[in-house]
Amino acid sequence: MSRRRQLLSYAASRLALAPVMLWLIASLVFLLLRLAPGDPIDALLGPRAPEAVRAALRQQLGLDQPLAQQYVGFMGKLLQGDLGLSLSNQEPVSRIIAQSLPASLELGVVALSLAAVLGLAVGFSGIARPEGRLDLAGRLFGIGTYALPPFWAAMVLQLVFAVGLGWLPVGGRFPATIEPPSGSGFYLFDSLRAGNGAQFLGALRHLVLPACTLGLLLSGIFTNALRLNLRRALDSDYVEAARSRGLDERRVVLRHGLPNALLPVLTIAGITVASLIGGALLIEVTYSWPGVAHRLQEAIAQRDYPLVQGIVVVVAALVVLVTVAVDLLVAWLDPRVSF
Amino acid sequence: MPPAQDSPQQPAPPGPQVPFRQLRQRPPLIASSLFLFLGLGLTACQPARPPGSLIVGQASRINSLDPIKASRVGVMQALAALGDPLYSIEADGRIEPRLATALPRLSGDGLRARIPLRQDVLFHDGSRFDADALVFSLQRFIKSGTLGFQLADRVEAVRAVGPYEVELSLKRPFAPLPRLLSAIFLTPVSPTAYKNYRDKPLNERFVGTGPYRLAYFSQQQQRLVPFERYWGRRPANGGLTLTTYSNSTSLLGGLRSGEIDLLLSSSLEIDHQLALHRSAQRGEFKEGVGPALDIGFLSLLTSQPPLDNPTLRQAIASSLDHELIQQRVSLGMRPSLRSLVPPSLPGADPEAWPAFNPERARSLYKRAGYCNGKRLSLPLTFLSDVPTDRLFALTWQSQLKRDLDDCVRLEVSGMESTTAYSQLDKQAFPMILINWMGDYPDAENYLSPMLGCTKPQGNRCLEGGSALSGSFWTAPGLDAQLQRSSELAGPERLALLQTIQRRAAEGVPYLPVWVVRPAAWARPQLEAPRFDGSGRVLLSQLRPIGPAASPAATSPAAPNPTKAGGQR
Repeated sequence: MSRRRQLLSYAASRLALAPVMLWLIASLVFLLLRLAPGDPIDALLGPRAPEAVRAALRQQLGLDQPLAQQYVGFMGKLLQGDLGLSLSNQEPVSRIIAQSLPASLELGVVALSLAAVLGLAVGFSGIARPEGRLDLAGRLFGIGTYALPPFWAAMVLQLVFAVGLGWLPVGGRFPATIEPPSGSGFYLFDSLRAGNGAQFLGALRHLVLPACTLGLLLSGIFTNALRLNLRRALDSDYVEAARSRGLDERRVVLRHGLPNALLPVLTIAGITVASLIGGALLIEVTYSWPGVAHRLQEAIAQRDYPLVQGIVVVVAALVVLVTVAVDLLVAWLDPRVSF
Repeated sequence: MPPAQDSPQQPAPPGPQVPFRQLRQRPPLIASSLFLFLGLGLTACQPARPPGSLIVGQASRINSLDPIKASRVGVMQALAALGDPLYSIEADGRIEPRLATALPRLSGDGLRARIPLRQDVLFHDGSRFDADALVFSLQRFIKSGTLGFQLADRVEAVRAVGPYEVELSLKRPFAPLPRLLSAIFLTPVSPTAYKNYRDKPLNERFVGTGPYRLAYFSQQQQRLVPFERYWGRRPANGGLTLTTYSNSTSLLGGLRSGEIDLLLSSSLEIDHQLALHRSAQRGEFKEGVGPALDIGFLSLLTSQPPLDNPTLRQAIASSLDHELIQQRVSLGMRPSLRSLVPPSLPGADPEAWPAFNPERARSLYKRAGYCNGKRLSLPLTFLSDVPTDRLFALTWQSQLKRDLDDCVRLEVSGMESTTAYSQLDKQAFPMILINWMGDYPDAENYLSPMLGCTKPQGNRCLEGGSALSGSFWTAPGLDAQLQRSSELAGPERLALLQTIQRRAAEGVPYLPVWVVRPAAWARPQLEAPRFDGSGRVLLSQLRPIGPAASPAATSPAAPNPTKAGGQR
């Protein structure tokens, strides 16, 4: 079988497993939510509402039905793409997700880009002189940013740049004084498309601090991954062979060492993207960023079953898709990968 | 990836690359310049604010502005700016008609209440407020309101008896009716705007009669602009933007950095409140304090040993050093409470529960069979997601170790709020610290939920408010007294309310701990925030001072704010 066919067959098998994985995740979330202590009726009405009122609301929301019946109803709707209505305000769950997921994705994409640029630059900077000052600084940067507690780092940056210097907003996603752009929910993109400079700058100012914080915290992963893999690549036989042919050292590094060293980094980037789709909870909470992780946290506290289920299923689906896409990309780029 | 095929070239000299050498000699200078440039750029990009418009920061996200979904403090605060109640409770406790023109006229048997309405009121969509509109709103609330039971439990029917007069048929006489009708969740909405939303919420719009109309809604931000055709006093500012920050640190930072003009204290951590209070004393902010309506108390499970012993419960009541808790836990920000009814409400009995008295406590523990080599191990549950509650548990534990170590020892454990509240009526906690805030400011709304009992059995309550609150305690005739108290008015009612509290203090099904005062802090460019008697900031009276003052605020036509109190 040709490699192209093998790749297609591999992609098909990975994608075929995705619905099974999603079904398992959806079922697990459904079950765990019901097993967890706490009652959505309490969250909605408070603990002192009369029993008759509680029973009526329970019936209205379908929570009085046997668990199996609720499960069948949930799965039936899910197959039709209906995620149900939020218990707290009867708003469609799909709409709530459509409002909060772009916020998380926008933050994640910008933060990841910053992390990649910064992390790879720092990781690469020490390569000319191993164990030199720059290499040592890069190593410290990699370990330090990775080890920083996100909540603490976010609060310190918030205090310095928002409260102390007043350069950036304390939190939120958009200035309180102007209306956000309408469209896809990605404010940078929407404001650019609308050609509205004030909206773009407003969105950018609010994005800088959370994205830089998250980017800084993630950059250490890239720094360490690149340093180790590049070092290993530069010690390998094919690089020695290239050097022995008299190639320029810069060319050896950039054309022979770096591409090979970036392959594992790509896998790490894929995993990081997958983790960011579900939002970076601590960053979202610290900066009042209205993302999907923050929404999920509130929904869990309120025992808003449909919303929790909906967010988990959608995020899981995206994570599965991204993981498959990264696997396929790596397999396509690296002929040594067998499947 | 295989090595690329390259042609051999001359090797480059090893060592650092020449083009970067010069830059590498001055990295601090370059970094500092970039940093400064970036900072100046970002500061310059701040959007301008509309003149006179204010930004109000609070912690709770607003998922819906429909009164039928209102139950949280943040939503009530927003609704108070967008809507009007039938009656309002002033800072000094007086009840004043708002959309009504007079207090309800009761029939001889007290079962029918007629309410005359104002005739000059328009909804934000331009339609007229009248009796039909009020009937529509109240019926919609009874049918679909999250707190609909508050009205449905008392009101049999609502009907219009004239174009501007409504009659409520009551299930039983109910003296605090005007106070119930002061609840902002009963604010009327336009039947025209809500005709397709009779039994479902309209989350992102609000069409009421208040001083502001809603110009923009998202769950994080709501923009309110003055309603030009408002029947009452024009707002003293040019509009409001309510904005949500998800944590206390951000709220505090937002006020300090000038990003928000007014900060509401709900969900603000106690040390942040103290920091703001001290800043206000130094003149850095303006502080306003409202009536304390949120109480924190211990619920004692009286239906099971060991707390089924009233002597032991009385011993526990005398063991709590309220003053120490006030100083160490609430840092002086929460006054001590020895009553189930907040002291700011009529009918409160501020000293119903005993004060801290270790000698009396020891003697009671001894009488209950403890102290003489036998130590009571008392489990205390606190809400783990409330930092102050955790601190209370640990502080009381230490205080008991200091004062009564040979008699009692606390075993503290935390539980998340939603889980804990759902277990309250399942006899799960021998003793738990919880809080309660009535949906409207009246003693009845504090005593009935905690002491009401529809199925008593001796001193044990099998069903009713007492069971739902986790104490399962009642006393012979207590429920009848509660019922009677809601039918009486005047001094007779106040006396009965105090009697009920004295009986509860003897039985000790609960141990009041503290009362939470709502507070708000404004930037120095604003007048000090004022509260009404329902514990809400009067947002329409927030007046900028100095050059930032809005045309509305400085116009001679704009009336002066009332003398409403609450300023500290």
